[in-house]
Amino acid sequence: MLSNHFTLTKRHLGLLLLIGGAAAFVAILAIDIVDVGREGGIGPAQQIALGASVLVALVGLTLIPIGSQDA
Amino acid sequence: MSSTERTINRLLLGAALLVLILSFAVYVAYALNLMQFPFDYDQGEGFELVDTVLFSQGRFPYLDTNVYPFYSSNYPPLFHVIAAPSVWLFGDAYWYGRFLGFLGTLVTAGAIAFAVYRDGGHHKWIAALSGLAFLASNTVYHIGPLFRQHMTMVMFETLAVVVLAHANEIEDTGGRRRSIFAGLALVMAAGYTKQLALATAVGVFMFLFIRQPRRAVVWALGFALVGGAIFLWMNIATSGQWWLQTITANVNDYYPDQTVGLFRLWFSLHGFLLVPATLYAVYELYFSRLSVYTIWFVASLGTAVLSGKWGAGDSYFATSIAALCILSGLFASRTLNRSWTFPQNYLSRLFIFPFRSLAPALGTLGMVVIPLLYVGYGRATLHLPTNEPLFAPLATLFGVEANAQNGFYDSAGRIAGGYADIGHFVTAADIEAGWRIVDLVRATEKPVLSEDAAFNLLAGKQVITNPTQLLNLANGGHFDSAALIAMIQGQEFGLVIFRAQFYPIDVLQAIARNYEQTESVTMNGFEYLILQPRGNS
Repeated sequence: MLSNHFTLTKRHLGLLLLIGGAAAFVAILAIDIVDVGREGGIGPAQQIALGASVLVALVGLTLIPIGSQDA
Repeated sequence: MSSTERTINRLLLGAALLVLILSFAVYVAYALNLMQFPFDYDQGEGFELVDTVLFSQGRFPYLDTNVYPFYSSNYPPLFHVIAAPSVWLFGDAYWYGRFLGFLGTLVTAGAIAFAVYRDGGHHKWIAALSGLAFLASNTVYHIGPLFRQHMTMVMFETLAVVVLAHANEIEDTGGRRRSIFAGLALVMAAGYTKQLALATAVGVFMFLFIRQPRRAVVWALGFALVGGAIFLWMNIATSGQWWLQTITANVNDYYPDQTVGLFRLWFSLHGFLLVPATLYAVYELYFSRLSVYTIWFVASLGTAVLSGKWGAGDSYFATSIAALCILSGLFASRTLNRSWTFPQNYLSRLFIFPFRSLAPALGTLGMVVIPLLYVGYGRATLHLPTNEPLFAPLATLFGVEANAQNGFYDSAGRIAGGYADIGHFVTAADIEAGWRIVDLVRATEKPVLSEDAAFNLLAGKQVITNPTQLLNLANGGHFDSAALIAMIQGQEFGLVIFRAQFYPIDVLQAIARNYEQTESVTMNGFEYLILQPRGNS
């Protein structure tokens, strides 16, 4: 990774998006757990963010099988 | 490709070009019309002029709003610094800021055309259509020729991605470094023009990281160091007002419905190019390498999501429009050049290779569909004055009727908050009304509290307050209104001029208690309320 010629592949990118999407999903849900005083449950902005994080994770999942092609 | 196919394709491309050239002619006429208007056209223009004047005097506009004249800017400095020499040459005027904004959109359109030409197989027609499509967008049209910094930010962003698109592949080390340096300097310029360029910075570094992680990290460290040093210097030089006024004050309430509405508007206007742009982005994701354009487009949607903030609006989509014009241009060029290639992977085996026999027919279909997409886009984004000498016959010919003020037709419209109801031409009556208000300001010896800066500037009086900025600060609990309210209670202002009543609530209440409306003047579709001290009128 530290080489001057290293570049990310579709698999690398897929893994990054999958992990990033999953982490974002958990973090968005955690807002309500950490900030217990919040009212109204999962709000519209949170719902949009949750949808986006699921989409990112799914895109990542579909990239992983493509393998070693340059991203 | 047969000669018949080529002829049909050229005719349709010619028709598309004609439609977008007509749109460009409307844009030029609108820009010229606004440059002759000496007052605020869009809310906030005058305060950008005040910022420019302050920079021309070597002063920062990031000031303590709790003390007289209760004024501060909430935008970064670069646009105003670029415009500052015009103050030395021409005094306080709106035309040069509007000219700069307009010029920025032309440069952006040129950069889009260049990118499509260079990276899309040298298709001149599609390159020209892509650049013109950017200028035809209702959003770009509305805000391009304003004394606002937004389109200058988009210009720097677009130039940055065009410079960086192939920088990693430059073999010569010196040449590569110079290209990356220039690209990142343009990103920095965009960020110090308007804060929203942060999305482009994120997109650009994601691109550099995907292509070469080590190099991206090294450049990111340098970028953060330089950007951070400038930030810190300005914060120290303004005693912390830079942070308060440009960062803290911009954290406003968020309305998801506004974002959804503006996304619907964006899609309805740009759908003809948005669909091919998205298809091209998907193609790169699964069948080619991700370009900076695709990553920039996705990042720009992050900015668009922020359009639901109070004070934000359709302008937040301008960067995504530049990106989609490039991506749709690349899609169109590939189709017309028949240069789509698909490597072996599970998706191509499932969705592409079984349909290979259809490729020639799809290629022929593309010769017709691609130009029609641009014709459809021209219709979807149509905006036209119906009563101006050059355009009235066209409006009559096509049966276009005005649906906005001053005899203007605009396919865009308010379906959500945050939409700017502008785009119409101003009239001689609007200018006359503006001078009437200036005369009222001149008639009092006292300072005047005006929601537009123009009247005070043209009357030779000091501009007092930046109402929306006071409201931003008040909403976050960062504005102490005591001194301003004391002046209002003491009737120290000769006049108060309202346009949208965007002052903090307690300031509005104090004005209502101590001033009364004596007159209203209609200018540019707004009713300006003139208030005088109670008991004196």
